[in-house]
Amino acid sequence: MSDFAIGLASFPILLLLLAVRVPVGVAMIFVGGCGIVLMNGWTPLISQLKTGPYFQFSSYSLSVIPFFLLMGQFAAKAGMSRALFQAANVWLGHRRGGIAMAAIGGCAGFGAICGSSLATAATMGQVALPEMRRFNYSGALATGALAAGGTLGILIPPSVILVIYAILTEQSIAKMFLAAFVPGFLAALGYILAIAVFVRLNPEAGPAGPKAGWTERWSNVLETWPVAAIFLLVIGGIYVGWFTPTEAAAVGAFATGLLAVLHGGMRLPGLIASLKETARATAMIFLILLGAELFNAFLALTRMPMEAAATIGASGWPPVLILAAILLLYLALGCVMDSLSMILLTVPIFFPIVMGLDFGLTPDETAIWFGILALIVVEVGLITPPVGMNVFIINAMAGEVPMLETFKGVLPFLLSDALRVGLLVTFPGIALWLVRVLS
Amino acid sequence: MTGGATGGPAGGPAGGPAAGPAAGPAVGAAGGWDPAPIGRALYRLSAALAVLGGLVLAALVVMTSLSIAGRALFSAPIPGDFELVEIGCAVAVFAFLPYCQITRGNVLVDFFTARAGPRRRAALDAFGNLLFTVIAGLIAWRAVLGAHDLYRYNETTMVLAVPVWWGFVPAVFCAAVLTLVAAYTVWRSAWEARHGRPLDDGIGPGDGQGSSPS
Repeated sequence: MSDFAIGLASFPILLLLLAVRVPVGVAMIFVGGCGIVLMNGWTPLISQLKTGPYFQFSSYSLSVIPFFLLMGQFAAKAGMSRALFQAANVWLGHRRGGIAMAAIGGCAGFGAICGSSLATAATMGQVALPEMRRFNYSGALATGALAAGGTLGILIPPSVILVIYAILTEQSIAKMFLAAFVPGFLAALGYILAIAVFVRLNPEAGPAGPKAGWTERWSNVLETWPVAAIFLLVIGGIYVGWFTPTEAAAVGAFATGLLAVLHGGMRLPGLIASLKETARATAMIFLILLGAELFNAFLALTRMPMEAAATIGASGWPPVLILAAILLLYLALGCVMDSLSMILLTVPIFFPIVMGLDFGLTPDETAIWFGILALIVVEVGLITPPVGMNVFIINAMAGEVPMLETFKGVLPFLLSDALRVGLLVTFPGIALWLVRVLS
Repeated sequence: MTGGATGGPAGGPAGGPAAGPAAGPAVGAAGGWDPAPIGRALYRLSAALAVLGGLVLAALVVMTSLSIAGRALFSAPIPGDFELVEIGCAVAVFAFLPYCQITRGNVLVDFFTARAGPRRRAALDAFGNLLFTVIAGLIAWRAVLGAHDLYRYNETTMVLAVPVWWGFVPAVFCAAVLTLVAAYTVWRSAWEARHGRPLDDGIGPGDGQGSSPS
């Protein structure tokens, strides 16, 4: 059996283990470990395990992850979700479907201090769902908008998955965040347009709310200043070079924690709950990271990713076609797996392939652009059946809305997503111009 | 039976009593020991470790913020601040692992087994947890030897000259707890495969999807 064949054969084995409910991180550690033993014998693996896991967990660049997770937990307790929703609602609520649009706006604002999609959907849901029920919004529109809006949490920086992608592919976190900015803004805009079209077709789905005066509009916007301040401090600070991404995440967690205590009324029980949730999410991510490390070390030994990339690069197929095939594969995988596992599992294979293709961009630009594209399509998995986590969370919060209604409500947003991915593939500049202008 | 959840009134998403038809009193069921009391004890230990690790993380957040303020205002950062972050994060992550496993927080793919019925799913989980037990045991054992090597060669960090093996002490302890917890989850899954319902060990049925950050 050639090394290449061993590398290739590891995938069906890994997928089989995943299919029979072996936790993703455990399956990757197991297959990667067995692969290394098969290639090089016991000794290298056994001696690597002495200090390998500890030194991976103590890596300075990875410490940005628990800090951002803690920041997201504090953000959920900072009591800013209502202010963000209100600030959007006084501007948009008097339109048809306006409260759903405001929920999208609130999600975008919340995404600026929270890097996770589930937390964004759940936190905004608590505020926006009762409001939409009060104005007799259809269950499909209300739950669909919030489930889709949640994905803005991960697209708009800071974003945990972008951080992991940047570390994995050795890209600058600052540049990745910059590149996500315009696509994130476009996503919010696209979702608002999707709602506008939806209520034009179904006028009774989203009745208009009352109109707010100008003073009320501006005073509500002013109330969200802490969110704007934290976002500027964290993202601006990384960009200007005041601090490293890890330091920025720490400062962000500190500021958001302060906000949670002073504005959100967080006390000891709330702090402990935040710490426990951070613990759970951090452990889950780091177990998969440990698995990815071993599995990638094994794949590198087989030289399979490099050879596959070389073969595909020399095949003469149009690069855009190969990219489209990869993105479609992500969509299919997204129906089965969670986004983080998908990124960690596939990037070691797909990244060299994409980097070997010529899109008329510099290598760094290709890496950043592909990261944003992968992030968007992977996130679509959060709102598609059968395992769309955002959909389940919001549907459970809404109570009496049937699941089928929620999935119907998500459809317009999926169309908007597809349109945006198409735009980004055609015009990489959408993601890259801010990076080019500012660096 | 509200379970022995620690951590005050807001005991996390899984801290409440097990809901659903299984929430009856977990009497030592016929044919086998009742794993619930051991589960409760291990849960308390794991939750305590998670909170301790979380406090370390929070302390690192404050320390880093102070260091940046010192650097910006007086050009006097805390020396070796990044070394403290590295040691603290490694220890915290090790401290988080048992809590994630015992609260069923590790992500798995539920897609292909969604219709398999609770008994078969639990049996499969017993297999996955068994693999994890072996891996956790291996990591704990090797880390002991790794710490011994670092101690023998007297390796220290660059700025603060902290002996590197210090961080291994809590890490090894947590890895040992993780091994115990993983072994317990094998037992729990086996029990659930036999009885066809979630074990009421005060932790709750879990969501099988973990607290995915995505």
